[in-house]
Amino acid sequence: MDENQFVLVGIRQEEGIEASIRQKWYKGKPVVSFFLLAVIALGCLCSEFFIPRDPAYMDLAHCNLPPNRAFWFGTDIMGRDIFSMVWHGGRLSLLIGFGAALISSAMGILVGAVSGLSRKWMDRLIMRLTEILLSIPSLLFIILVQAVMGKANVFSIAFVIGITGWASIAKVVRTEVRQLRGSEYVLASRCMGGGFFHILRKHLTPNIVSSIMFMVVMNIRSAIAAESTLSFMGIGLPLETVTWGSMLTMSENALLSGSWWMILIPGLFLVATLLCITDAGSWLHRQMNRKQSNL
Amino acid sequence: MKRRNPFFYFGGKLLLFLASLFILSLTVFYISRLAPGDPLVSYYGDRAERMSPQERAWAEERLGLDAPVRVQYARWLAGALKGDFGISYKYKMDVREVIGSRTGNTLILGGIGFLLIFGLALLLGILCVWFEGRWIDRIICRVGTVTSCIPEFWLSLVLLLVFAVFLRVLPSSGAYSAGRGGDLADRARHLILPMTVVVMSHLWYYAYMIRNKLWAEVRADYVLLARAKGVGKRRIIFRHCLPNILPSYLSLMGISVPHILGGTYVVEAVFSYPGLGTLSYESARYQDYNLLMLLCILSGAVVMLGNLAAQMINERIDPRIKADEAVRITERWEAGEDG
Repeated sequence: MDENQFVLVGIRQEEGIEASIRQKWYKGKPVVSFFLLAVIALGCLCSEFFIPRDPAYMDLAHCNLPPNRAFWFGTDIMGRDIFSMVWHGGRLSLLIGFGAALISSAMGILVGAVSGLSRKWMDRLIMRLTEILLSIPSLLFIILVQAVMGKANVFSIAFVIGITGWASIAKVVRTEVRQLRGSEYVLASRCMGGGFFHILRKHLTPNIVSSIMFMVVMNIRSAIAAESTLSFMGIGLPLETVTWGSMLTMSENALLSGSWWMILIPGLFLVATLLCITDAGSWLHRQMNRKQSNL
Repeated sequence: MKRRNPFFYFGGKLLLFLASLFILSLTVFYISRLAPGDPLVSYYGDRAERMSPQERAWAEERLGLDAPVRVQYARWLAGALKGDFGISYKYKMDVREVIGSRTGNTLILGGIGFLLIFGLALLLGILCVWFEGRWIDRIICRVGTVTSCIPEFWLSLVLLLVFAVFLRVLPSSGAYSAGRGGDLADRARHLILPMTVVVMSHLWYYAYMIRNKLWAEVRADYVLLARAKGVGKRRIIFRHCLPNILPSYLSLMGISVPHILGGTYVVEAVFSYPGLGTLSYESARYQDYNLLMLLCILSGAVVMLGNLAAQMINERIDPRIKADEAVRITERWEAGEDG
C-alpha cells in the first residue's frame, strides 16, 4: 500500500486573501507581450524618424551583404537595407492585419445576426452556404477572389483576406443571437419600432462583444499570417511594396546563396508580432471567461 | 427521440451533400470565369500572345471558351455527370489522369500528417494534464504556443535553410530524386521536412484542445468519487475521462480536414512537392479551368464528408442534439468558447 491510501480526497487548498492583495499589478498580465507589441507598432508607425536609408533604394554596390556595422540587418539581393525595410514594411503588414480583421468581424457579425434573427429555413440556408464556402481551401479561394479583383494592392489584399475569414465569427454570433433574441428587451425594442440595424447595434452587439473579442484578436493574427503567406507565394502584394511577407519572396535566391539574414530577420519580426498578439488574445480570453473553477 | 427511417435519413444527407457540391461547383465556375486571366496562355504557352484575332477565335472555339458562361457551365455539368471532366489546358491530358498521378503524394503527406497530428496531440494533451502545473506542462504549453504562431511557409524556409543549405543532410524539394521513384527510403527522406512542417504547425492547436477538455473533465464530480473509491490516476484518466472526451475529439477531427488540407497546400508549394496543392495553386493562377474545377470539387467533397462524419458522431453521442446543431457545437468548442 502506498502513501496515497490515506489521502483525503476533495480537499481544496484555500487561497488566503492576503495572497491576492500581495500580488503585484502585473501578475498574470502579458506585460512583455504588450511591451514588445507596442515597440513594434510604434517603431513601424514612426519609422521615418529613425531608419537610416530609404527602404526602396537599391544600392547595387552593396547587395547581398550580411549584417555589419553600416547595414545592421544586412542587405537583400537587390541591395535594399533590411533594417529600414523591416520597420517600414511592418506598417503595411499591421495595417492589412487590422483592416482584414475589421472587415471579417463586421461581416461575421452581420451574417451571424441575420442568420440568428431570421426564420428557420433562412437560417439553415445561410449556414449551409457558409459551410460550402468554408469547404473551398482558403488559399484557393483567396487566389480566385484576388484574380477577380485584378492587380493586388493593400486594400484589395485586406479585403480578400477579410471576406474569407468571417465564417467562424458568424457561427458564434449566430448561436449567441439565437439565445438573445428571445429576451424581453429585444422584444420591447422591436415593439417600439426598432429596425434590424438598431437592434443589432444597440442590443445585440454589446452582448456579443465579449464572446467574439478573442476571435477578433485571433483574426488579426491570422490575417497578418495570411498576408505574408500570400505575398511570399507571389499572389499578394508586388515585390516593390515592402511588407514582411514580400521581403521573403526572394527567399529562393537567399536559400541558394545561403543568406540567412534575408529569411530569418523579417520572419522573426513576423513571428514575434504574431506571438505577442496571441498572448494578448489568450489573456483577453481568460479575462472574459473568469468562471469559478470547481477545484 | 423520433425513430427515423434510415432510408430517409441517409437519403436526405446524400441529397444535401449533392446539392452542396452543385452549389460549390457553380460558385467556383463563375468566380474563375470572372477572373480576367487568359486561359489560352496556359494551353498554348507564349504563343497565345502572338496569335492573330482569327487564330484566337478559332482556339477559343476549339476549347469551348467562346460560349456564354451559362452554356459553358451546362456543358461542363453534362460532361461531369457522365464522368468526363474535360482536359487540362496546361498538361493537355484528361484532368482525371493529371490528378490521379498526384493524388498519392498528397495522400501520403496529408494522411500520415493527419494521423500523426491526432496521435501526438492526444499524447501531449494527456501529458499536460497528467503533470498539470508542473514544469513539463508549462514547457509544453510555452513551446506549443510559439510553434503555433510560426507561419508554415517561414517554418519551411528555416528548416530548408538549416537542413538543406547549411547541413546538407536532407533534400530541398520534390517527392523523390530523379529516377528513384520506387525507392521507399529516398521517398521518406524527401518527406521528412514537409511532414515536420505539417505536423508542427497544427499540432499544438489540437493538443491544446485536448488539454482544455481533459482539464475540465478531471474537475468533474465523478472523478472525485472515483478518487474516493481509491481508483488510481492512470485508470481515472484512461478509463473514465478519456472515453468521455474522445467522441467530441473525433468529431473535431472531421471538421479539421480543411485546416490541414489548406496547410499541406502551402507546404507543397514551398517544397515543390508534386501533390494536389501545387497543382491547384498552378491551376488557379493560370486559369486551367477544368483542372481547377475537379480539384475544388474533390477537396470540397472531402471537407463535406468530414463535416458529415462529425455531425453523425455528435448525433450518436447525444441524440437530443438536432442534426444541424451538432456540427456547430463542435465548432463552438473549436472556437474556444468553453474550456
